[in-house]
Amino acid sequence: MSFPGQRYLGPRPNTLIIAVCVLVALPVVLTRPVWTDSAVVLGVYALLGLSVGISYGQAGILTMSQGAFAAIGGYAAAILTTRFGWPPYADLLVAMALPAALAYGVARLVTRLSPLATALATLALGSVIEILIRNADALTGGYIGLAGIPSVGAINTPAGYACLAWGMIVVTVFLYENLMCSAYGRALNVLRVDQARARADGIDVPALMSAGFAVSAAVAGAAGWLYAHYISFLSPESLDTHISISALLMAVIGGAGYILGPIVGTLLFDGLTRLMPAAELQGFFYGAALIIILLAARTGILGLLAGLARRLRRPDATPAPRAANLSPQESLP
Amino acid sequence: MSRGLTATGIEVAFGGVHALRGVDVAVEPGKVAGLIGRNGSGKTTLFNCITGFVRPTAGRTTVDGVDVTSLPPDRVVKHGIARTFQTPRVDPRATVLSAVLCGFYSRVGASFVGSLLGVPGAWREEQRLHRRAEPILERLGLAELRGREVGQLSMGLIRLVEVARCLASGARFVLLDEPAAGLTAAEQERLAEQVRAVAASGVGVLIVEHNIGLVRSLCDTATALETGRVLCAGTPEAVVRDERVMRSYLGAIGDLAATEAAA
Ligand SMILES: Nc1ncnc2c1ncn2[C@@H]1O[C@H](COP(=O)(O)OP(=O)(O)OP(=O)(O)O)[C@@H](O)[C@H]1O
Ligand SMILES: [Mg+2]
Repeated sequence: MSFPGQRYLGPRPNTLIIAVCVLVALPVVLTRPVWTDSAVVLGVYALLGLSVGISYGQAGILTMSQGAFAAIGGYAAAILTTRFGWPPYADLLVAMALPAALAYGVARLVTRLSPLATALATLALGSVIEILIRNADALTGGYIGLAGIPSVGAINTPAGYACLAWGMIVVTVFLYENLMCSAYGRALNVLRVDQARARADGIDVPALMSAGFAVSAAVAGAAGWLYAHYISFLSPESLDTHISISALLMAVIGGAGYILGPIVGTLLFDGLTRLMPAAELQGFFYGAALIIILLAARTGILGLLAGLARRLRRPDATPAPRAANLSPQESLP
Repeated sequence: MSRGLTATGIEVAFGGVHALRGVDVAVEPGKVAGLIGRNGSGKTTLFNCITGFVRPTAGRTTVDGVDVTSLPPDRVVKHGIARTFQTPRVDPRATVLSAVLCGFYSRVGASFVGSLLGVPGAWREEQRLHRRAEPILERLGLAELRGREVGQLSMGLIRLVEVARCLASGARFVLLDEPAAGLTAAEQERLAEQVRAVAASGVGVLIVEHNIGLVRSLCDTATALETGRVLCAGTPEAVVRDERVMRSYLGAIGDLAATEAAA
């Protein structure tokens, strides 16, 4: 399976795959209004899933604040366009830069802690942001929220938004793949597996982890921007911790370590939950899916497929026989 | 201050355990310095100390006169010191090529944002890194294995990959912690040749090695440690013939015989 970084500047396979899939699928999807609307919403979720992939799958930060970063992006868009009359393209930069800056700062503070503590810190961060949004009435409209967010320039039909959303996904995958095929992408993989090894390579671990988290937050911010302009209304419930958790689940189920994993997870998972008869069953379904994945395929659906592909190609190859001996446990304080 | 890597008066304590008590070593550019000593004598701790993983309670480390004592590991690498680990620390799923490419990290000129955007400069640099990795892989006999996952190689080959990664950093001083352990005779010879070639190019090498024959044929100087102290230092010939060193190693063999007899 493609391992980021090993490829000699070859084509960007993940970008190619997603671009072809989008070009093939979109014309079909756009034939039905219901599908078109779903395509936009799924696009927002897929972007959030990608942001989890960058943070958790690559930088190793189990993040539960992506919904909050999206909310910041969404509110930045809403406030700048409705209150300050910014044109709805210019606000995208702010919608990405603001969460990125916040994520970088927070990560610099907390990534020195254990992975679990870092995860809890992101959860707390999300809650704090939610509370701030609820309480900053003058700016955010408090509990009531903000309405009348203008559409993005000429794009004012669901079809237009569907194209915009999936175009943004292709661009994001391209940038993500660029990063993973560079020294920084390899370095992220190293530090996720073994921080001492990373430091011996000369990697400034907190700085690079934080940079990865900032990129992830910027993608989440872009998702929030898209959401705000499409729905044209934003309240504190729109993009909350619930969204953060489902984005995390979808990324993990699809395969957070694989560039396209979160997209696969989003499509499959959301597709399935939409088939669920009752909304009450969804929570049960989420939990069951997560447990199955954690027990049967820790690397997600794409990881499972990659493992199968490897076994088909080399039927005799035992899967990583020495991995156990290589546990990076030489005691380093 | 003189050229070279020097550690003077290094003391390290872990709680009540004095792992190092005033150790001096020096590595000159272009020379191979050997570090020997029985298990637990403090060789790895000395490496950890020089490379910033462990803070000494006393003593200092300088590189070409620049003080690098207590710098964090990633900053030490920027001063031109790279190391391998006694127990290889590798991602078993990474390929040999990407493991070696990781070694270039401290020399990468492209920015994070440039790499993300895929600016031409970053693409060109990535190409350059791949080109530079080839001769390193070739010299260590790893070229055919470049696409293999590290986790599927023998321990000896994994050690060679670690050495290659270390060399890729372009360090002026490399610290190799028992790189020959688990290597076949042929692999050992290839490693020794490579270490000589690296030294000939002006790099100073500090190598932990238990194989006395290899120490003799490879090293220009040697230092023997015992329980955190320098037992003896000088030419490899003099050190391995030193009575205290022989007794120390024989003692180790005696211990071994005793434990085997007990078992
Ligand atoms: N992180 C640590 N915490 C506590 N004690 C340590 C730590 N690292 C090393 N020691 C102790 O310091 C002493 C020196 O250990 P070190 O690993 O440096 O020996 P070594 O010469 O490398 O031995 P070997 O030949 O087995 O690799 C030992 O007594 C060891 O138990
Ligand atoms: Mg050791």
